[in-house]
Amino acid sequence: MTAPDHPFAALLADYVAECLPLAEDVLERSLALERAWAGGEEAADLYGPLQGLLHTIKGNSAMMGLRPAQELAHALEDLAESLATGPARRRDGVEVLVRGTGLLADLVRSAAIGDSPDSAHYLEELRRFLDQTVDLPAEPARVERRGGDRREDADRMVTTVRVESHRLDALLEALGETMIAQAGLRDAVKRVTRGRRGTPEESGLDQAVLALGRTLQQLEQDLMETRLLPIATVFGRFTRLVRDLARGEGKEVRLEAAGGDTRLDKTVIDRMGEPLVHLVTNAIIHGIEPPEQRVELGKPAEAVITLRAAQRGDRVVLTVSDDGRGLDPAKLLHKARALGHAPASGTPALEEIYGFAFLPGLSTAERVSSLSGRGVGLDVVGLSIRSLGGQVSVTSEPGRGTTFTLRLPLTVAVLRSLLVEVDKERYAVPLADIAETLRMGPDVLRQAITQGTLIWRDQVIPVIDASHVLGLEVPWGVPACPEAPTKGRRYCVVLKAATHHRGLLVDSLLGHQEVVVKALDPTLGRPETIAATTILGDGRVACILDAAGIADGAIEARGCG
Amino acid sequence: MKRAEGVLEFTDRLQVAAAPAAAVERELHLLIFALGPEPYAVPVAMVREVVRVADITRVPDAPLHIRGVMNLRGRVLPVVELRTRLGLEAAALTPASRVVVAEVRGRIVGYLVDRVVQITRLGEGSVLDAPEEVRTGSADAITAVARRGDQLLRLLALERVLTAGD
Repeated sequence: MTAPDHPFAALLADYVAECLPLAEDVLERSLALERAWAGGEEAADLYGPLQGLLHTIKGNSAMMGLRPAQELAHALEDLAESLATGPARRRDGVEVLVRGTGLLADLVRSAAIGDSPDSAHYLEELRRFLDQTVDLPAEPARVERRGGDRREDADRMVTTVRVESHRLDALLEALGETMIAQAGLRDAVKRVTRGRRGTPEESGLDQAVLALGRTLQQLEQDLMETRLLPIATVFGRFTRLVRDLARGEGKEVRLEAAGGDTRLDKTVIDRMGEPLVHLVTNAIIHGIEPPEQRVELGKPAEAVITLRAAQRGDRVVLTVSDDGRGLDPAKLLHKARALGHAPASGTPALEEIYGFAFLPGLSTAERVSSLSGRGVGLDVVGLSIRSLGGQVSVTSEPGRGTTFTLRLPLTVAVLRSLLVEVDKERYAVPLADIAETLRMGPDVLRQAITQGTLIWRDQVIPVIDASHVLGLEVPWGVPACPEAPTKGRRYCVVLKAATHHRGLLVDSLLGHQEVVVKALDPTLGRPETIAATTILGDGRVACILDAAGIADGAIEARGCG
Repeated sequence: MKRAEGVLEFTDRLQVAAAPAAAVERELHLLIFALGPEPYAVPVAMVREVVRVADITRVPDAPLHIRGVMNLRGRVLPVVELRTRLGLEAAALTPASRVVVAEVRGRIVGYLVDRVVQITRLGEGSVLDAPEEVRTGSADAITAVARRGDQLLRLLALERVLTAGD
């Protein structure tokens, strides 16, 4: 992110790291002021801290020689002062303030990239506005940060260390290697002592390897802990997005957030921003009705979008709700049928119908949003969440609103998985995506193969042979279509998608294992059945299945040709 | 003498060896490997190492001509099936098979070859435009050849290997 050719690149990165949260805080507060003043409140407690923050940003920007940010922060201080002391112009002024603080956040954010937005026009407009203000004191008194804040900062300095995130990534990488090596060692010891009681020397070795494994797990947990960030860092971006987008769409929308202190791995935080933006954008453009229509329906003119996060075990559950028009199940089902994703007759359960929303082609935005510049379907959201090892589902009440639920892993580096074997290749299946594993008797197996279905817990679920989803066609050696692809199959892994299940026929189950996730090399393209790779204890690479992707039926069995 | 475009493109990327005082001609520093009986060459500067073939794991839905992935000291290395990419029949692995690990446009990729022959230096003057059938047969991955004794080395442009196969 840092402009590598800048002489103070590292300092600039520090500047952004320190000032961006301040700038976002300023923006939050000016939005709060806008709301308070619109409601006729004085909100005197808001603008003191606002000016203090602006003052700090101004000082830091000056130190880094970032003149546009320095001047803007200075001018905004003046503006805030003028509005605080002169209520008459608040109605026009607060809009100027909000735009300016947004621009300031952009300036700070872009400092390290070197592609700054233009602030000259805004400054000119701001000065004109200030010139018209009659009651502006010649030398406005600054509200300084209170002593208490400083002391708090000093305390924080003692107990925290700032570490560049790539160093944490490197540590995690090294830890992963060590865990793989330990697994290899454990396998080797097992091979030596297989089938007999080990000698005292051998069991000593065995104990030592197990102890090493426990220590590594502790280390992993501690390292994961250091990588956790509050989700508020993501939520913070949405205040302005919602405000700007709603304004552009002629809608009134308020954003509410809860559980911002819930913590998630930095990688997850970094990669879930985009899918969340898609969900919120979709809600504003498609979900929420125009104000007049809302009033006619007896709803408040102002719609509410709620972001809520909470930890549940080793997952974080994140919901995005709106109180808009909701999804129309009949329309969804109709579209799913037209695209061949649903049988033409019979009515699936409501849950399942909502699940169709994540299939390709079903939810692609009909209008191109001016914000993202392109229509984005929910299938893309589903894909990004699944690539993080997460799951996404949606529920809706027609006329009352829609809620998207994202279940995300706390960490993405280590995955609890089941190893399975298919045609002598091993694959890792994330445990979170497995409902059950079944050993198949010959009759049940035959039925599963010939009819492609299985009766499981009193329901009929689709079953697919692993080699059919994992496409065997290759231009070398291996036959493109084995004569009896299901010869070795003995087990069925029941995979669960958000709303339904699908059985996957495999040869054998090799047991549970924590695997270290290695992202797919870009050279490998974007295989739709594979989420990532891992290195097993014997040093071989294995693919990690995109189990939810296979289960939700987006991937069809391919014919052999 | 004006060199043909394909040759120019290839030689410009080569590491230029320090010319001995007597000679003024630039030299190409090449790694020679074989696919079947035919010798091929790539600039040594692009090659990071040559390793034995470890177990290669197939990746479902990977681009054509990606044979799979291999563990290279903890890194998951994509391995390109060079034979089929260059229009040859697939062949079984032998003890002589090797993976040439190269860095191409910042990506580290392995290329499966039948055997590695040697590293050599050749005068730039020995480079010629590839015959039309070689160029088309390789889908433009080979645009130049070099004379070496009575042999013709096919100079492989590694950065063209994946773009056409993707």
